[in-house]
Amino acid sequence: MKSAKFDYTRPHDVRAAIHALADALGEAKFLAGGQSLGPMLNLRLTRPKLLVDVSRIEALRSIDVVNGSIRIGAAVTHAEIEDAGASLARNAMLPAVAREIAYRTIRNRGTIGGSLAHADPAADWPLALAALDAVIIVNGPAGQRSIPSARFMLAAFTTQLADDEMIEAIIVPELSPSARWGTYKFCKRTGEFPDAAAMAVFDPARRIARVYVGALSGAPVPLDALARGIAQQGAVALTATAVDRAIAMAVPELDAVGRKMHAATTMRAVQQALAS
Amino acid sequence: MSELHGKPGQGIGARVPRKEDARHLHGRGNFVSDLIFPGQREVVFLRSPIAHGILRGITKPAGFESVVYARADIAGIRNIEAPSTLPTYKLSTQPPLAQGKVRFVGEPVAMVVAKTRAEAEDIAEQIQLDIEELPALVDAHRARLDTDVRVHNEWSDNLFLTLDFDNNFEAESKKATIVVTREINLARQAMVPMEGRAIVAHWDDRAGQLIVYTSTQAPHVIRVGLAQFLGIDEGMIRVISPDVGGGFGLKCVLWPEELCVAWLALTQKKPFRYIEDRREHLTAGANCRQHHYTVTAYADQRGRLLALDAQITIDGGAYSNWPFTIGLEPGQATGNLPGPYEFKGYRCKTYCVATNKPGFLPYRGVARTGVCFAMELIMDAIARAVDRDPYEVRYENLIPPQLMPYNNVSRKHYDSGDYPRALAMVREKLDYDGWLARKAQGEPDGRLIGIGFASYCEQSAHGTSVFASWGLPLIPGYDQATVRTTPDGGLEIRVGVHSHGQGMETTLAQVAHEVVGVPIERIRVVHGDTGITPFSTGTYASRSIVMAGGAVGRACQTLLPRYIHIGAHLLKCKPDDARFEKSEVVGPNGRVSLKEIATAWFLRPERLPVDVDRDGLEATVGYKPTVDTGAFTYASHGAVIAVDPEVGGIEILDYVIVEDCGTMVNPMVVEGQTLGGVAQGIGTAMFEESPYDANGQPLASTFMDYTMPGATEIPAIRIYHTESPSPYTLFGIKGMGEGGAIAPPAVIFNGVNDALKDLGVEVNETPLTPKKLLEAIERARQAHPQRKVA
Amino acid sequence: MNQVVFTLNGERTEALVEPRLHLADYLRDTSRLTGTHLGCEHGVCGACTVLIDGQPARSCIAFTVACDGRDVRTIEGFEDDALMKDLRTAFTRDHALQCGFCTPGMLIAARDVVMRCPDADDKRIRSEMSGNLCRCTGYLGIANAINSVIQARRGGGATPAIRTAIAANAPVVQPLAKPWQAFTPADAEAAAPRPAVAAPLDDAGPREGWQRIEESFIANHSPGRVWEIFADTAGVAACLPGASIDEATPTSAKGRIDVRFGPMKASFAGATSLERNETRMEGRIRGGGSDSLTGSRAKADITYRLASEHDRTRVSIVMDYNLQGPLAQFSRSGIVKAFAGRMVAQFGENLNAKLGGGSAPIPLAAGRTAELNAGNVLWQWLWSTIKKLLGLTR
Repeated sequence: MKSAKFDYTRPHDVRAAIHALADALGEAKFLAGGQSLGPMLNLRLTRPKLLVDVSRIEALRSIDVVNGSIRIGAAVTHAEIEDAGASLARNAMLPAVAREIAYRTIRNRGTIGGSLAHADPAADWPLALAALDAVIIVNGPAGQRSIPSARFMLAAFTTQLADDEMIEAIIVPELSPSARWGTYKFCKRTGEFPDAAAMAVFDPARRIARVYVGALSGAPVPLDALARGIAQQGAVALTATAVDRAIAMAVPELDAVGRKMHAATTMRAVQQALAS
Repeated sequence: MSELHGKPGQGIGARVPRKEDARHLHGRGNFVSDLIFPGQREVVFLRSPIAHGILRGITKPAGFESVVYARADIAGIRNIEAPSTLPTYKLSTQPPLAQGKVRFVGEPVAMVVAKTRAEAEDIAEQIQLDIEELPALVDAHRARLDTDVRVHNEWSDNLFLTLDFDNNFEAESKKATIVVTREINLARQAMVPMEGRAIVAHWDDRAGQLIVYTSTQAPHVIRVGLAQFLGIDEGMIRVISPDVGGGFGLKCVLWPEELCVAWLALTQKKPFRYIEDRREHLTAGANCRQHHYTVTAYADQRGRLLALDAQITIDGGAYSNWPFTIGLEPGQATGNLPGPYEFKGYRCKTYCVATNKPGFLPYRGVARTGVCFAMELIMDAIARAVDRDPYEVRYENLIPPQLMPYNNVSRKHYDSGDYPRALAMVREKLDYDGWLARKAQGEPDGRLIGIGFASYCEQSAHGTSVFASWGLPLIPGYDQATVRTTPDGGLEIRVGVHSHGQGMETTLAQVAHEVVGVPIERIRVVHGDTGITPFSTGTYASRSIVMAGGAVGRACQTLLPRYIHIGAHLLKCKPDDARFEKSEVVGPNGRVSLKEIATAWFLRPERLPVDVDRDGLEATVGYKPTVDTGAFTYASHGAVIAVDPEVGGIEILDYVIVEDCGTMVNPMVVEGQTLGGVAQGIGTAMFEESPYDANGQPLASTFMDYTMPGATEIPAIRIYHTESPSPYTLFGIKGMGEGGAIAPPAVIFNGVNDALKDLGVEVNETPLTPKKLLEAIERARQAHPQRKVA
Repeated sequence: MNQVVFTLNGERTEALVEPRLHLADYLRDTSRLTGTHLGCEHGVCGACTVLIDGQPARSCIAFTVACDGRDVRTIEGFEDDALMKDLRTAFTRDHALQCGFCTPGMLIAARDVVMRCPDADDKRIRSEMSGNLCRCTGYLGIANAINSVIQARRGGGATPAIRTAIAANAPVVQPLAKPWQAFTPADAEAAAPRPAVAAPLDDAGPREGWQRIEESFIANHSPGRVWEIFADTAGVAACLPGASIDEATPTSAKGRIDVRFGPMKASFAGATSLERNETRMEGRIRGGGSDSLTGSRAKADITYRLASEHDRTRVSIVMDYNLQGPLAQFSRSGIVKAFAGRMVAQFGENLNAKLGGGSAPIPLAAGRTAELNAGNVLWQWLWSTIKKLLGLTR
């Protein structure tokens, strides 16, 4: 199938992009890498009147380290994060997560901001950035605001982003040297969206402990009590029963099989963190 | 490959690199969708969004009435009907565009023509369909019993066909001490060649012909069908099938879209193009593999099979295809279920049921993937029941070589081979004993190891009598090949079969090289064009290398005496004193090349003997095997499976095949065909499914939903060969294009069941997704709370 | 039509294109570079892989207009490329192609793997190539061919892969690398509870082919008062999120429901019948509509039932729905069901708002449309959390 008709514009800065979107009165979509939007356009599941291509706006295209944080422009591609091992030495989880997203050909074009805005429940970034306590910087006619990544995604394909806002950057804290992290996703086929996923971050120096499960029917869900227990007691707190109970409480709608799959995935992500 | 197998040279048995590769490697293949003719228009089909309903009306968008076609606008096209001589068979009437009713989601309802595909889609989405929904028949078991709701109103029920077979069942089953019953199911799926269907048709005024380029495995058959259903002379049609991006059975039947696009070109005398997209393929092409089995095996205490009782239900979809008919699948299922095993009592009832899904088509392996799955799962179930090693039980049940040729319980005639040896070789190459030891130790990572085996035999190149018994309206007979000597001593071969990945531009040249000795670089194989090739029913049923190879071999052999006759004259000796040797005629006083002989015939006839054969250096010869009941390739597959019981993951740690397809023309091509088939079989086993909801909506319409195996899902398979030539075919060749796809579901499920045996888990429904596997483990946990369950 | 200028296989190329024309169609139909193939047109199969600025990309989901200023290289642009020559040789030798349809995309992806992953082994090669589907070969020849080229560049001979040991997805079980440093996280308060799942209201279950969603809330009125307010049947129908009513009688309404789900939008135009059964204190909205552009159809039967609960009224809502057509043809039904669940929940909120008492006003969406979308859902989420905290429901 071929896309329905649309117009196309490629503004040079964030301001112009926001204006272009606002001027289209709700009939425009931002286009970054187009790796989710492209298929939906071709399948005519979405039919915006205007695409505002933000993929080349300089301000959205860089990775910068400032004041103990990593600022990743929204239009930075997964492949660029995958390949940025050196500049991301203080948060090696980012390239590790990027490398497992879909296929290299998709990673070459797909962007971190696009992935967050699209908010597929099974996508990697909403999960990883929640576990990493990242902050999403969004911009719109009313100005810039920042949203903690854990609260950014509300449900499947639904975020806090207003219709006239765009993601500008993602601020990810640097991990301290004592930090440990683990990621595990279970895909029935390489590169596909996973059936279950979990990520864990423990950073004693920053007193942060996070365990998140993803690939649910909505946003990633934190297992705070489990994370806290592990932070306080280490591996002793990581029992199959504890994980199962944590999942059952946090995601009650899962059936027995879904619970088992997510519990195993969570167990492995945390084990990986403990072993790192 | 494990051990590179191949003879030196370029003849039969040599591992010759393919002639067809270069154009594809440079992006210069020539597929139907690559064609553009001046003034060409794009065609799009609006398809039914509803599985079953009364089509009350079609409202064309204002201003576009003349480019939107409904059934009434294409009155010149006849409805597709595929009659069959099989008793109980009911004829389905398939309009090229839906009329009166819609019968599956994806059925073409209207056709739109525009300058670009995008514009045609813009128009198509403005068409309003008035469809009154009827209850959808989605489950074959329920549809079989339903007489109120019917796919075809003119029928009394929803049964396409019922087959009953009984050979000595009662007497043999009485002897049994062990009775084992299993329900076994295969999911519906799509064939998914990487190139979808594609058609470009135009009118050639100079030739006075409708030229139809179509991505088909059987150009001559499509010509017959187009002529029949367009109601015009065959001479008015030329069908060309250029490079075809995979067929697998999808492209061996006539499609309504072919009729519609050809009709546009015929009536408007302009070029039109239709390219099926993936979404259309995955919805309107969900047309294969869905079989349901209830199988009961009767065996003795050692697990020796005595009799088999089966009920097979095939979810036939809405329409019977032309020309193979829906009868092919139940016929093959009933006849092939007994497989490579020796037993004497067999009873089988097979229902082919009409449902609101796309009509069933013959996918690579045709029914045998299903029957092998059922038979091999029941074989392991017997082993469980008698508490013996499944390998041993299987081995003891295989037909021993001393009984060959063997007439089996379903009256198939197996021509040659040593079936048990193939299984024994798999055991050895797989290091079964080593894996058993490792399995006993347990894995440090908590995964469970299982080993699965499966054996099958693959009827190939079966001919007239077999297809006639399946009741088809079009039955293969002799396949013809034309071999022409070129004036410079090369060869040009023309065949009616079609090569679309099988490498026949190379392998048929190897056959000719074997006889004539011309280097294959100088042998050109021409195929895929009814205008310049002899008739053939095409490429399907693992027949082409046997049939076309046989015809090419015979045609070459026909030319040899003619070469010798001219050569002897040029050498000034008697023909009886000359012989043909590696593209030369050799006489007592010297040798003369084929080039000189050809030059004499074509360019310097004054040099020819007066009694020269006036048919010249070109021959068209027909061929079929001396016994046409099929040359049976056979194989055993074995695999080591690791199951991750926590998440339901399955990894294939090793996969070994021992295959015997008689004389191999090109071992590299044989291996390629097998590996590709196995990849499809692994897809069937673990990944591929076209699920439907209760409304008959297909739920896998993109590759995001329909999981195709990729490079990480297919293991590095090891293949070993034995060669038991067929006594009935030229050179002893057997067909083998489908076999790879037959065994993998059986092997993988047997391996998984072996791995999970201690948990009391037995799975028997494709595809084995992680979710299904975990569900099975969960069920076992509830059924056997005392067991140690992961 | 938009003007673009880009480099195509080394040549400056100007084109006037419709923005919706994807790069693969431009290459194939306009430039007549037909080596780039279309196998899915939704970015999964890899047959259309080309290089854009040196990086492999799917040309079926890259729009030509967005390639302005870029450097595009197709399979036809590698005639002088030494590495591609080696790959071609290896592909033929290892029988890495059959029908040839996936081959151009496969080669472009393979070349990238050889350059980017000089140390790749069989497992890594397969993983890196997993975005290119082949239906013919079973991938062994492809993996071996790439492996042989990598080995040759490393100076070693080719070693075809045979797996004998456990590989790939084995779960990770590792010992603790270093002792755990216990700590108490800074934000140790309990997480907000998530909404619980409503108990089933009607044991009969939905009809075959239909899905069911249930929801209930407490209204601060007596059942009689609620019943009176709900007499405005069209007004009740208008509480359906995204609904706009064009015509209404006491027993029927015509209009449309606009639904948005991420970037997807649909507009179901149709009609409803409205029934009330006073003895059972039950109202029913039966409706159906179709989204003309996709040909999708939705039907819904929504029942509300009133029951007295401590002088107030429990309003229970059951929605049975049935979605058909292209919008239904995806396998992730859990997500659709979650979406429908939010829709019913919001219907409840809107009804509650209509009842006035004890309810918060329902704002327009952040996007200033009345569709069910991000803003509404956010509000609904917050509101249901507040209600739970206040113990208003369930």
